[in-house]
Amino acid sequence: MKIQFTDAQLALRDELRAYFRELMTPELRAECERDMGEGGGPLWREALARMGRDGWIGLGWPAEYGGRNLSPMEQFIFVEEVMRAGYPFPFLTTESVGPTLAEHGNDWMREDIVPRILRGELLVSIGYSEPDAGTDLAALRTTAVRDGDDWIINGQKMWTSLAHFCDYTWLAARTDPDVSRKHKGISMFLVPNSDPGWSCTPVHTLGGVRTNATFYDNIRVSDAHRVGELHGGWKLITSQLNRERLSLINFGPISELFNQVVQWARSAASGEGGVVAEQPWVQANLARSRALIECMKLIVYKQSWAMTAGTLGMADASAAKVFGSEGFIEVYRLLGEIVAECGLLRSHSPGAFEQAGRIERLYRTASIITFGGGANEIQRDIISAAGLWMPRASR
Amino acid sequence: MDFGFSDIQGELRALARKILDDAVSAVTLAAYDEFAAPRFDRDLWQTLLDSGLPGITVAEEYGGMGLGFMELGLFIEELGRSIAPVPVLAHCVSGLLPLQRYAARELQDRLLPPATRGELLLTGDFWSGSGAPTVQGEATAHGLRLTGHCAAVPFARQADWLLVPVELADDIAIVLVPAGAAGLHLTDLQMTHFEPHAAVALDAVSVPSADILLASGGEQLVTWTRERCTAALCAQQLGAADHALRMAAGYTSERKQFGVPIATFQAVGHRMADGYIDIECLRLCTWQALSLLGEERAATTEVQIAKIWAGDVGHRVSYACQHVHGGTGIDRDYPLWRYCLWLRFNEMALGSSASQTAALGRRLARGEGLFS
Repeated sequence: MKIQFTDAQLALRDELRAYFRELMTPELRAECERDMGEGGGPLWREALARMGRDGWIGLGWPAEYGGRNLSPMEQFIFVEEVMRAGYPFPFLTTESVGPTLAEHGNDWMREDIVPRILRGELLVSIGYSEPDAGTDLAALRTTAVRDGDDWIINGQKMWTSLAHFCDYTWLAARTDPDVSRKHKGISMFLVPNSDPGWSCTPVHTLGGVRTNATFYDNIRVSDAHRVGELHGGWKLITSQLNRERLSLINFGPISELFNQVVQWARSAASGEGGVVAEQPWVQANLARSRALIECMKLIVYKQSWAMTAGTLGMADASAAKVFGSEGFIEVYRLLGEIVAECGLLRSHSPGAFEQAGRIERLYRTASIITFGGGANEIQRDIISAAGLWMPRASR
Repeated sequence: MDFGFSDIQGELRALARKILDDAVSAVTLAAYDEFAAPRFDRDLWQTLLDSGLPGITVAEEYGGMGLGFMELGLFIEELGRSIAPVPVLAHCVSGLLPLQRYAARELQDRLLPPATRGELLLTGDFWSGSGAPTVQGEATAHGLRLTGHCAAVPFARQADWLLVPVELADDIAIVLVPAGAAGLHLTDLQMTHFEPHAAVALDAVSVPSADILLASGGEQLVTWTRERCTAALCAQQLGAADHALRMAAGYTSERKQFGVPIATFQAVGHRMADGYIDIECLRLCTWQALSLLGEERAATTEVQIAKIWAGDVGHRVSYACQHVHGGTGIDRDYPLWRYCLWLRFNEMALGSSASQTAALGRRLARGEGLFS
């Protein structure tokens, strides 16, 4: 038990901070801001490819994929720093689909797709939800039907975020039409978004972020595009979701925002006299935020350690997801109260300033995290069953 | 970053759990309910002393195990799990620790071996108030004369030596006061959790130079010791909360209403899941504080955060566990109710969540405690 970074890890963190100070040019920041913190623009793509060339994306990966053989903890430090720098890092591709492909994919995926992901050249969107299959994901109706050596895919997916600039969709499709085999009739495919049968329409959200509805119209793929075992997709979905849940809770950006709000409060004049930080209620909000963010940090560090040790448990991944998502919302409120009316100004408004403008957007984007990546109710079901061995109601 | 137990840590936890499981039960604890007897199981204490556990942090040359505060904290977590009636926090945390860290060699040679064997029981006035001394000292030809009052000292009635911070004209000293010293008056308090605490009045108590642990600069010892006392309460809270929650998870899995276990109701399962998350937060903050303190690193922020969680989590878990048990939880024939008492004590002692939040907030406003 030693809950501290090693000197080498601290040095890595410093090296990454210096790297990103240089990488995050004002032009790149402006482009990311324009794209609502989602990325996808030309400067964003170039920066991602540069990170790949410089060997950062695959830091914690084995050399056979083009990685640098360090542990998940170093990989985690990289992701934390890239997010802290304000770069919209495509962590779903690199940290959740990528590792799942490496573990369960065929030769083509392991020798071509995964190395391209680590070079920052290939992006994957996730196709799970459908109009009538959300929390009850196994009710999905998109089909893949065998035709000779190929598969013909038809259906519609919802909330396919980033799909409009991704290269492939990691798609869950029903391969056994017998619906009574619900969880046991699903297989995973890697579908090219460049296929003529693939299309998407934008869905604009509260936070300003674009997501998509995607359509799959008689898309023909070879069997090499199928991932893992036939009808064995559910296991891959849960494996990917466990990794996704961990990636969703990244404390880099929120700790940076916290530090900036403290520094602002220590110098900004308060309408109640003195500087903002002198107000007892402001100090209480800061302390409450500090204590919450500290736990987010420790939870993700522990999970990174557990991944290194190979002991990442389902209940703990779900606990991180629930705590992190609800914690973010709470912290955005506590910090929003401190910046007060400034936090009501959109970031381009006259009178807006950087931290408050960010909080103005964050409170709007935050509502997605309690249901995205698996609704928190389902996570709590998982925790009481897998963490406390409590029986579950049948559904 | 290592969240796993070393082999030794694993063995110590297993040893502590084995001893405590064998010796502590609802039946043995019932003997102390409502102050029927001082809550001190001397047989269990002797068993623990024989195992060497209370001497975890003491150097091997004095008969201890020579391990660190992290290991002591893991032992205390097990004590919290069993709410064992033994003076480990008083003796090991507020006695042995400052003695071995700050006392001169001579005093260590004299007191550490018998204290490690348990022939001498120690306690200290570090468990209440703000940390500012409430006892005044006046220099005499042979040492100090003490006058004042300590609000609540655990096991003061049972202890052989009492560590007391003393305010001098322009300094703070730390002295050792023996039980039975002339002018020392104890008043037994009736604490909510039945643990023996006493208010201590000192009326011109003479202390010879040989019993002065620190003649000056005692403020540092007080801060150092109180941070460890606070972390120890967090560890005790962690064990107690975890045990209470496991009890509630087990009970709701068995208890049937409407023909099904009440655990299958989502509202019940989710309240338990929230307890699970809460306890995980408390665990990580506590272990972090123990780890940093064990390596003598600065940990003021981390200790404050751990205590904020210890308060909040103790409160929420206690009432959630009571609630899902229904009447069974408050029935004194069922073992949960005593956990409610200890969760409350650990919550409020050495700074509630509100006061720790205020203290951390003041430091943040000064620019201290930001993320690195």
